[in-house]
Amino acid sequence: MGYVAIKGGEDAIAQSIRLVEYYRVRGRTAPVSIGQIQGQFRLLLDKIMGEASLYAPEHAALVLKQNEGDVFESAFMLRAYRATLQRRYTAETLVTREMFIRRRLSSAFREIPGGQILGPTRDYSQRLLDGRLATETLGHIEDFLAQFEAAAPGRPTVPVTTLPKVIDLLQAQGLLREVDDDASRRVVDVTREAVKFPAPRSAALQMLARAETGGLMALAYSAQRGFGSTHATVGELRVGEVPVRVRDARGRIRVVGRIRLTEAEMISRLRVQRRDESPALSLGYGLCFGQNETKAIAMGILDRAMRSGGDAPCQSQEFVLYHTEGIESYGFTNHLKLPHYVTFQSSLSNLRQAIERKDRKRGQLGFGAAVVNTTSSPS
Amino acid sequence: MQANQPDNDRVLCECDLASLQALVESLETRHQIIVTRPPGVCLTMIRAEDSLERQEFFLGEALTSECDVTVDGAVGHGLCLGDEPVRAYCIAVCDALLHTGRDQPAEVNTFLETHRSQLAAEEQREFNHILRSQVDFKLMEQD
Repeated sequence: MGYVAIKGGEDAIAQSIRLVEYYRVRGRTAPVSIGQIQGQFRLLLDKIMGEASLYAPEHAALVLKQNEGDVFESAFMLRAYRATLQRRYTAETLVTREMFIRRRLSSAFREIPGGQILGPTRDYSQRLLDGRLATETLGHIEDFLAQFEAAAPGRPTVPVTTLPKVIDLLQAQGLLREVDDDASRRVVDVTREAVKFPAPRSAALQMLARAETGGLMALAYSAQRGFGSTHATVGELRVGEVPVRVRDARGRIRVVGRIRLTEAEMISRLRVQRRDESPALSLGYGLCFGQNETKAIAMGILDRAMRSGGDAPCQSQEFVLYHTEGIESYGFTNHLKLPHYVTFQSSLSNLRQAIERKDRKRGQLGFGAAVVNTTSSPS
Repeated sequence: MQANQPDNDRVLCECDLASLQALVESLETRHQIIVTRPPGVCLTMIRAEDSLERQEFFLGEALTSECDVTVDGAVGHGLCLGDEPVRAYCIAVCDALLHTGRDQPAEVNTFLETHRSQLAAEEQREFNHILRSQVDFKLMEQD
């Protein structure tokens, strides 16, 4: 397909940008600070960082403010910002077993080593509107925090510790087995190397980790509903902070801080390939920036579905990975708003010619339905 | 000191910035500090691996600040997550002083100890709150 550039319109474009700003501020409400956004829109920023594939909470807050809450545009802009920066370090492989746990659960086992920890979640709430927030003041916040901090621990203090993985239980019993497929184990960076299908699993996991949450959820849901062969159970879901280590210029391993992550280990049955093979379970893996449980679970389901073989959409690597890439799909959908005058005129011209040919074949006069066919109606 | 470096790094990355800045400002009066790489932002690619097959993959990048200095001729590298030019500079200064091979300034060690304790106490407080949401769901047929 060819494209023809447009020109002109600079003044209108400049004014449209001023209008964006005008509609953002015309209510003359107090400006929202970056600190407020970081403090009170934690989950939204986590989503933006995950889809932008850039862990930068302050910048995520800034773009969210700039884009009036548009998550797609914010992730797009953050990715564009990322492209202006030099990658100078590659971190050592994260060890999620070191996670400072804020939330950790298993829906497969009731009793797990270290226990089920609900942490911050709305899962068990009644989803009722809280009208008090409409008139919330800093005083209310201080009161809540004072009461929260003052509440006596319900049990003796346990020293801060890391927790073992739930899958260790299954591994110890020999019930978990690796998926035996032909996928390459080569570690690919999709930001540096064009993806070809079938893609190595590393590329698939990277693309899922930076995919759009809603897209992942839709396809993972399709897998659960029967369009695919996997029905997964949450072996373990954990949310918390993990240290990031890099090697500095002198070759020393340095801790540069901690990042918040969500990890989901999704257990499902492994299809037996040979008659002599005993049945087993396998794992779909989900890991993403921030607290984004929907994304990590969906990623785990799709990781497993794409390796299960079959004709369902969720089992096709190309279908899943290309269509859940949020920035690409957002960009393509929105580019349809840009002038397509020449391409459309070209289509229209082809259409007119086709109609003319058809009409000519029928012995009619051609394009223009208003012309009365004088040959077929006797006067 | 080398053995404690990751621990020291973590304290310097997570401690209160104003206190760290005050420490470094006091050090500036007694040491010759030359900034060899001004504070700037760059990217760190984060590597991860799945739990069962240990398949490595790239999770995404993290905004990182870095700065290099020399303190009385000793090289220091400052690295931390985020857009934190001041912190990266302060970490670089502390890094140089902690790894000169000479006597380490007592105030840096005192600072690290104090803030290590503070961070540990804060983490313990948070952990206590989190553990209060530990749950033992009963099945319906159980009491």
